[in-house]
Amino acid sequence: MRNILAIARREFFAYFGSPVAYIAIAVFLVLLGVVFFFKIPFLLPKENFFEAKEATLRPMFEWMVFLFTIFLPAISMRLLAEERKMGTIEILLTLPVTETEVVVGKLLGAMGFLGVATALTLAYPVMVGILGNPDIGPLVGGYFGVLLVGSSYLAVGLMASSWTRSQIVAFITAIVICAVFTFVDRVPEALGLHSVEAFDLMSFSRHFSSIARGVIDTRDLVFFFSVMVGSVVLASYSLEARKWR
Amino acid sequence: MIEVSDLTKDYGRIRALAGVSFKVEKGEVVGFLGPNGAGKTTCMKIVTGFLAASSGTVTIEGKDVVEHGIEVRRRMGYLPENAPVYSDMTVGEYLNFIATVRDVPKDKVVQRIEQVTAVTGVGERLDQEIGTLSKGFRQRVGLAQAMIHDPEILILDEPTSGLDPNQIVEIREVIKELGKDRTVILSTHNLPEVTATCNRIIIIHRGSIAADGTPDQIQGLYGGGNTFLLEIQEQGGDALRAALSALSHVKNVIPLENKSAGQGAFRIEADGDVDLRPDLFRCCVKEGVTLIELRRERLDLETIFQRLTLQ
Repeated sequence: MRNILAIARREFFAYFGSPVAYIAIAVFLVLLGVVFFFKIPFLLPKENFFEAKEATLRPMFEWMVFLFTIFLPAISMRLLAEERKMGTIEILLTLPVTETEVVVGKLLGAMGFLGVATALTLAYPVMVGILGNPDIGPLVGGYFGVLLVGSSYLAVGLMASSWTRSQIVAFITAIVICAVFTFVDRVPEALGLHSVEAFDLMSFSRHFSSIARGVIDTRDLVFFFSVMVGSVVLASYSLEARKWR
Repeated sequence: MIEVSDLTKDYGRIRALAGVSFKVEKGEVVGFLGPNGAGKTTCMKIVTGFLAASSGTVTIEGKDVVEHGIEVRRRMGYLPENAPVYSDMTVGEYLNFIATVRDVPKDKVVQRIEQVTAVTGVGERLDQEIGTLSKGFRQRVGLAQAMIHDPEILILDEPTSGLDPNQIVEIREVIKELGKDRTVILSTHNLPEVTATCNRIIIIHRGSIAADGTPDQIQGLYGGGNTFLLEIQEQGGDALRAALSALSHVKNVIPLENKSAGQGAFRIEADGDVDLRPDLFRCCVKEGVTLIELRRERLDLETIFQRLTLQ
């Protein structure tokens, strides 16, 4: 446990040691703010936040999930790809730690970063709270759901990062996987067909929506935890596979 | 004790190790010597458990490095080639991180960092970011990292590469000091390094062991027989030649072309491994000639290394 936390701590502070993290957070917050002023297809097709005159943060959370599909792969891409490229992985994996401990530590470090970025968005609900009177349930549910989706994206990104030495390859792979599993439920709709239940079940955004309504359903929790555990297991395997290359 | 038996490793179609076996006893300082691509690094990576062998086993105190990975790695410190240390951390942060993951007791971390940085000479750089350090200092940080938990076994892959001559001497002293009470395996393609630090040499060539022993043993085995060179001030020396031939163990006495006029010189071939120099000296005294040079003729390690690894 102590070694997992040490690895997590190292990863967490490694983000804040470089300006990239601050730029990424700034861009994320600015893009997130856009939802309050512009019409966004699918989320707010007719009117922006102020025109809607409704004290709800639903659109912000949905927009956040969309931004996360790009923002979080950028955060997770370096986790293992960089170690492989720089050779530092050789010291890391000859320490008395298992591959799984390394992967879990790194995921926790990245989740810490996600926590900070998400905490900084609290300014928006505060604003909405001043302007109106939002329901607390969906607000808490929304943040909980956003953190779950975000952690799942990071786990997927970490897995992609374990497959390659190139951060760019890891980044693009993670975006593709996250985007596919986020928007898969909208594909039939976009094609003018009936919704397909299997697609809904696989969709990050479907599971997120039900949590964001303030309903904590075990099925949704199981979905997100399965994604995280599955990604961690696969990432550990691919780290272990180095031995037999 | 480290026991490596019949290790092979294939990278695809390339055979990096082709059946390597050796044992290293506690307290030995072993130098892996070999040209680039001989399999030194691969062998070390397998011993540390970073890579798995294609066949063969490595055990440490009877424990297999694959099955008991965690336990074995606790006892071991490893400096990989080129000292890959995190460049975005300061020296202090980095050593603290390694110490924590290596389960150094919390109250001992500061003390251990002080000790290893003092030994490796990076004590004044604790607050400097590793990325801004020179190659030599990064190498030292890598060495400090390998020693932080006071391991019984140290595996050092080219510990002095990238260092300047003064630093090389310093690091060799450190390794010698470490070797007094623990097992060290280091690799290098630099010969003086092995003779300066190691009490045993393993020469690896094309994935196999070409020679294994103390520097003396290797010179004895591959240094080309037991011959002596003798020079006297007087010319000719036929009487001396006869007397030398009569000595026991002497197989053959060959007069050599005079290097400078007026001096006599002989090459004496002896059987076995006996040092004949005292006998040769007494013989010269008895014959009343003036001995001006007497030495045991051997190939130096450099030549042996070249002969073994050039085929």
